[in-house]
Amino acid sequence: MSDPVDNADAGAFLESLREGVGIKSAIRTTPDEVNQPMIRHWCDAMTDHNPVYTRPEIADKSVHGDIVAPPSMLDSWLMVGLALRPEQLSDQGKAVGMLPIITKLDTAGFTSVVATNSTHEYDRYLKLGDRLQFHQSITNVSAEKKTALGVGHFFTTRTEFMDQDGESVGRMDFTILKFKPGTGSIPMTADAGAAFAPKQRPRPEISRDTRFFWDGIDLGELRIQKCDDCDSLYHPPMVRCPKCGAYDLGYVVSKGRGTVYSFVEVHHPQFPIFDYPLLAVLIELEEGTRILSNLIGVSADEVEIGMPVELAIRATDPELNLPLFVRARPARRETTRVFEDVSVGDNLAPCPVSITPTLIVGGAMASRDFQDVHHDVELAKKRGSPNIFMNIMTSGGLTSRYVCDWAGPEALLRNMKIRLGAPNYPGDTMTFSGLVNSAEVRDGKGVIEVGIRGSNQLGDHVSGTLELELPRR
Amino acid sequence: MAMSFAGKTAVIGIGATEFSKNSGRSTLRLAIECCDAAIRDAGLRPDQIDGMVSFTVDVNDEIDVARNLGIKELRHFSRIHHSGGAACGTIHQAAMAVHSGACNYALVYRAFNERSETRFGAGVTGGAGGATPVMVELGWSLPFGMLTPASWVAMFATRYMHQYGVTSEDFGRISVADRKHAATNPKAFFYERPITLEEHQASRWVVKPLHLLDCCQESDGGQALIVTTLERARDLPNKPVVIASAAQGSGEDQHMMTSYYRDEITGIPEMGICARQLWADTGLGPDDIQTAILYDHFTPLALPQLEEFGFCKPGEAKDFIKDGNIELGGGLPINPNGGQLGEAYIHGMNGIAEGVRQVRGSAVNQVPDVQNVLVTAGTAVPTSALILSQPD
Repeated sequence: MSDPVDNADAGAFLESLREGVGIKSAIRTTPDEVNQPMIRHWCDAMTDHNPVYTRPEIADKSVHGDIVAPPSMLDSWLMVGLALRPEQLSDQGKAVGMLPIITKLDTAGFTSVVATNSTHEYDRYLKLGDRLQFHQSITNVSAEKKTALGVGHFFTTRTEFMDQDGESVGRMDFTILKFKPGTGSIPMTADAGAAFAPKQRPRPEISRDTRFFWDGIDLGELRIQKCDDCDSLYHPPMVRCPKCGAYDLGYVVSKGRGTVYSFVEVHHPQFPIFDYPLLAVLIELEEGTRILSNLIGVSADEVEIGMPVELAIRATDPELNLPLFVRARPARRETTRVFEDVSVGDNLAPCPVSITPTLIVGGAMASRDFQDVHHDVELAKKRGSPNIFMNIMTSGGLTSRYVCDWAGPEALLRNMKIRLGAPNYPGDTMTFSGLVNSAEVRDGKGVIEVGIRGSNQLGDHVSGTLELELPRR
Repeated sequence: MAMSFAGKTAVIGIGATEFSKNSGRSTLRLAIECCDAAIRDAGLRPDQIDGMVSFTVDVNDEIDVARNLGIKELRHFSRIHHSGGAACGTIHQAAMAVHSGACNYALVYRAFNERSETRFGAGVTGGAGGATPVMVELGWSLPFGMLTPASWVAMFATRYMHQYGVTSEDFGRISVADRKHAATNPKAFFYERPITLEEHQASRWVVKPLHLLDCCQESDGGQALIVTTLERARDLPNKPVVIASAAQGSGEDQHMMTSYYRDEITGIPEMGICARQLWADTGLGPDDIQTAILYDHFTPLALPQLEEFGFCKPGEAKDFIKDGNIELGGGLPINPNGGQLGEAYIHGMNGIAEGVRQVRGSAVNQVPDVQNVLVTAGTAVPTSALILSQPD
């Protein structure tokens, strides 16, 4: 039984948190107009190659008639960046509700913060030169909740975006959790990172003849031995070229692409240094040589001979880098799917995303998110995280890239609703999967909803739905 | 050109310990017991033994074996490498030694507590000696959790299944035949314990696509054989079992257990090298073989052995083994002793002894009218094979 006095205190605290709910801020203006450099940074960071974002000669002929910004960039336009300029500082005074709530929660011990939900609705795609305005309000503050990350309060803000003419272009509902660090169950904090405890795999013995290979792995490249005289390729490495007799053997750097030539699923005996069942694969590289490895982010019932894979060099513990493989990223569709060709229940081909520091930091910078937990390992650890982790805007950017690469370059994203779970830490692999939930004609337009999930080794990082409009036949 | 020793030497004695999961004795004791039994079976005295052949991986030193048996003067002693691939290679070596005159009576032995002490199946995660070529080679598989013979063999099996439409049930037919034969062999570990294909399918995964019942048991035990010239053999009490021929084979781009880098990995080229030598030396062919002892540490690689020896075409072993064709009473009964899956895993040496019994006519599951027996050694490694035949 809870103490009734405590309950009364909690009630009073919640009431004070909810004081600002429903009050709209004054209209503010985003720091920069929609511009090509920021779009290009975003597309680079997300490896989003849809040409309507960056290639005028293609965008001009598209349904947009011009370059457009990736819709999932919506909230990055309002990010103030690292240093507030004078006009922004004066603008801050127009914000309401948010700062008082954060201060109250910090004071009460709810010092950690994580974004949990983001819902975007897009009225139109933004074009170069658009200058957005927006106003914000707090729409909800939850009672105290016990979550996997810890005990805390969720609060949701709504942001409404207008263009320079005051016309509505989109809306965002954004939920963050303020929680007490150390009160949860999943490894947000460094000392609770059991799932991330490095497992010391057997070390490869390295000779003078094979040193070049493992040096390459440490530098992030897969080297295939090449005879300097007759260009024959060898793996595992040789001492002498058996074809021409040369001892001068160099190497080429593999493109890292190949297919599964054979595979096994190891069940027994089990060693604590590996996770079972363990998928071991024999990969045939595009260059023609084969290599033994493991396939990560793929379950045993999904693997098949001939499956395209890509190199993913991983540190399996701090002292060992290994050439592992993930399924190949599905090719971006060059032509847009027609509504009539899509059926409810269609699966999107799974897509792996290597969670590298470059992706996390690059995504944070491209979305103008300078929170230290997304780029500074030491500060992230001081804040109780085992490492830097991906920000929600990058998760959103990758999600929309995944679905739009499947749908095609001129599919129109109408909304994107995502919910975050397990953090994306460096060294992990997130694998997207997706399913067409609905397909219907509304006002003559072909509209589909796609459900997605992006899972890493800790669980589901992101799940949600996206609504798209597809051309009709 | 036929090898000069072909048909000129014979196996004159065999001896074994019991086969168990825990011998309760040292490996040296097992070695001495089986050698002692083989010498007595041959009708020899220990001091007549002047040659020895074993496996490089056998831990029982020739000098310890000689001292305990009372062997006085050894003139030839050699070892064959590559684990189970050495099995028929030891007889090949002994035959060459006695034919050349290097020695008169060669004692061949293999003894271990492979179950109760050092299990190969337990997996290897490292080794001594630093970056020796063997450990460097293992460095291409160990970091990826490929630590056991089952895992190394399974990689071939998946590809073989894919290429030829072979199923796990096809592999299971090897197990079912072996266990059927073991069920009527009182010396077999699985005596009176046959299995069905359903039980094979229901057994747990070890390394998919290998079920538990695709993997041979691990055993304690010792097996010895004695080889001399056919001429000498005719003066001894047992009917000479003629070594019609014996051969070793190591193929192009050969690796130890992991020859994954060849153009194709669904055949066993090193066994093909053995097959071509044996057929050429003896003038025999598949139709002349009444029973075959196929190395069966894991079922999948029994199939391409049939293909390499020409019992069927590549990819057709799955059809060849159907409908009881490899069981007693079938067209080519394999492993009448129960094989390594049913009798015991003595690194292929118990299979050679079974070949000897089949030629003698003394096997517990005797195949009728045996003229020639084919025996093979370990697969996925450099290997060996031999044909044992009736004397003229």
